[in-house]
Amino acid sequence: MVDDFENFRMSIKGMVRGFGVEHIDTANNGDDAINKCNSESYDIVLCDFNMGDGKNGQQVLEDLRQSKRLKTSSIFILITAETSKDIVMGAREYQPDCYIAKPITKASLQKRLDGLIAQREDLLPITNEIDLENLPKAISLCLLELKKGGRYQGWCFKTLAGLYYDTGDYVHAQKIYEDILGRREICWARIGLGKVQLGQQNYDAAIATLQKVIEENPEQMEAYDYLATALEKKGRKKEAQSTLQKAVNLSPRTIPRQQHLGELAQINQDIEAAAQAWRATVKFGTNSVYEKPDNYLNLSRCLSDLSEGDLTEKGKSYAKEALQTLGKATKRFEDNKEIQLNALMIETRVHAGQKNEAASKKSMARVESLVKQNELGIEAGLEMAHTLYAMNESERAEKLLHSLADKYGSDQGVMNRIEELLDEPVNLQNKIKARELNRKGISLFEQGKLGDAVTTFKEALEVTPRHPALNLNLVQVLMKAMDTQGMNFEWLRMAKTCLDNVAHIPPQHRQFKRYQHLVSKLSQIKS
Amino acid sequence: MKSLAKKPDFAMVMASAVHDMKNSLSMLLHSLETIVEELPPEMRGSGKMATLQYEAERVNNDLIQLLGIYRLQDQSLGVHVEEHYVSDFLDEQVVRYELLFNARNIDMQVDCDRDLVGYFDRDLIAGILNNTLTNAARYTQDKIALRAFERDGWLVIEIDDNGRGYPKAMLDAPGEIQKGIDFDTGSTSLGLYFASQVAYLHQQAGKQGFIELENGGEWGGGVFRIALP
Repeated sequence: MVDDFENFRMSIKGMVRGFGVEHIDTANNGDDAINKCNSESYDIVLCDFNMGDGKNGQQVLEDLRQSKRLKTSSIFILITAETSKDIVMGAREYQPDCYIAKPITKASLQKRLDGLIAQREDLLPITNEIDLENLPKAISLCLLELKKGGRYQGWCFKTLAGLYYDTGDYVHAQKIYEDILGRREICWARIGLGKVQLGQQNYDAAIATLQKVIEENPEQMEAYDYLATALEKKGRKKEAQSTLQKAVNLSPRTIPRQQHLGELAQINQDIEAAAQAWRATVKFGTNSVYEKPDNYLNLSRCLSDLSEGDLTEKGKSYAKEALQTLGKATKRFEDNKEIQLNALMIETRVHAGQKNEAASKKSMARVESLVKQNELGIEAGLEMAHTLYAMNESERAEKLLHSLADKYGSDQGVMNRIEELLDEPVNLQNKIKARELNRKGISLFEQGKLGDAVTTFKEALEVTPRHPALNLNLVQVLMKAMDTQGMNFEWLRMAKTCLDNVAHIPPQHRQFKRYQHLVSKLSQIKS
Repeated sequence: MKSLAKKPDFAMVMASAVHDMKNSLSMLLHSLETIVEELPPEMRGSGKMATLQYEAERVNNDLIQLLGIYRLQDQSLGVHVEEHYVSDFLDEQVVRYELLFNARNIDMQVDCDRDLVGYFDRDLIAGILNNTLTNAARYTQDKIALRAFERDGWLVIEIDDNGRGYPKAMLDAPGEIQKGIDFDTGSTSLGLYFASQVAYLHQQAGKQGFIELENGGEWGGGVFRIALP
């Protein structure tokens, strides 16, 4: 029995004792309840929804089910005081076995519990198999129960479809969902259909299905998550981000969703939004199953990016928050050397970004005392390179990236990240500025305005002087100009400088072939 | 001081007040149950205890309606239709009034197939049934029947009693508030208004739920009927 209100706890305890329940434990907050579930295996959990500042009942349920500290066969009852369930239903990835509205009387609670316990007993053979992860057996028992007819048909169809989905049998799952939807519009079946379509990589259909769910039931949080995933798969990453943004505005406490949002926003380079999402994972994740070092580190990375080179009050406060977050991370994951190392590197960057050279050198020295550069794995290596750039040690950074490319370059995903650092080792605002100028330059080139294109690319190169694609673009414009307007020594010199700027890229780099091609073409022009 | 003069959001104030009152009602009703258990058996059926319970339930019903009607106007009253076992659901409602029915010697019958499932918003329909049951308890002579069945794809729930039946004005226009609220009988017509609105919010395949009132039934008293698609 979980409630923050002692009188209420005692009164419910008294009631269930009156029903003959022998072993009753109480907890006055969600964390306490979760801890108790670690050491005991409860058959029934009664939990209040609204427990002040702590975890709410829905989060307790989520935590227990997610971590499997509560069995499928155990009953979770959510007690609510609101007339309508909107507030409660806000975050229901995991559904309680029943909602009971206050005021609760002994007689009505007993009726409710009797019904739930009878159902639990009847369905125990099936839920036991699910708890044992014996899904095929659970499926055949569900089918048997369905043949019997009776009141558990609905439960069986829903469970069966979920089991088919979990075992990857999308065809059967889809058939059940479609049959149910053919009779009546039922939200879980519609979401189930969307999930199946997503599983079958039928992304357009999934998007349409899930958009319909959200349109009709804006409080169905699960639908936003699947919709965002489907949009992401289609490369519609901005829409995916705004879908998740809507969901977290409605229900900010779901941590996996905030993590997903943080990752997406980072990909979309919306660092403010990413910081906000990671901030929420830290705030709401403490002491939960979702508390991960990456929550802290990603928040610090975003804050470091936001504060880099910004010496105003705003920049300073980002830097301060970053250092505080890193402090928390190193304390909470004291024994994890890798986390300590990553945290120190980010700390180095934060100091460097605030032009605090002494502090930045000091933490870099601690990094170097922890690990030798040639022993760095790929993740720590990239973090290190990023940090070296922030300290203006470009040569060391490039050397490190080259050795990482040699070791890990066969993985395209890793290579992309190495390239991104090599190409644009500057802060985010400048990255965005350089990209815009690059786009503008290309369009001027296409319109044949070669002089303007040259000026624009040159302006972009002031921001990211060693960006390979930019340098090579400018070389091409210059060669085209010389082709049509005749030889020009200043342009030739400029093209030569551009190619020198790109000489640092490793052979695995995607601009390498183009680079070689342009080098040979330029030497032809010169000769 | 200007910044302090912000108007409180009425919906928030009401929601939190209702929340608080429901906690109080929980404690009140539970204390009442405990007291009844501590009483010698001959005093348990006392009319005063029943009155206490009856009035507390009425306050609870009023709170549900108050919040519900506010949210109807605000168009934020969402229905959460889920599958429910109807017979369990009806038993749970009736059991709230056991004390009252016993004290007033009312014979309460529930008639429903154990395997009948229905699709509806549990809390909203429970609010309607509770309101109707408290009214039936007030107007019946000594009999109430609560029954549910399926008819042509509709879930029908009926409450029958052997009282004098509904006044004519109510029979003609169930669920309508025509000349404002009559404060002598106000609670009843407000309850029916809420019931008809909630029924209407239950929609399926182009069909909408509705309520009906009639006099007659098995015993010639009032019949309240809610049909959900």
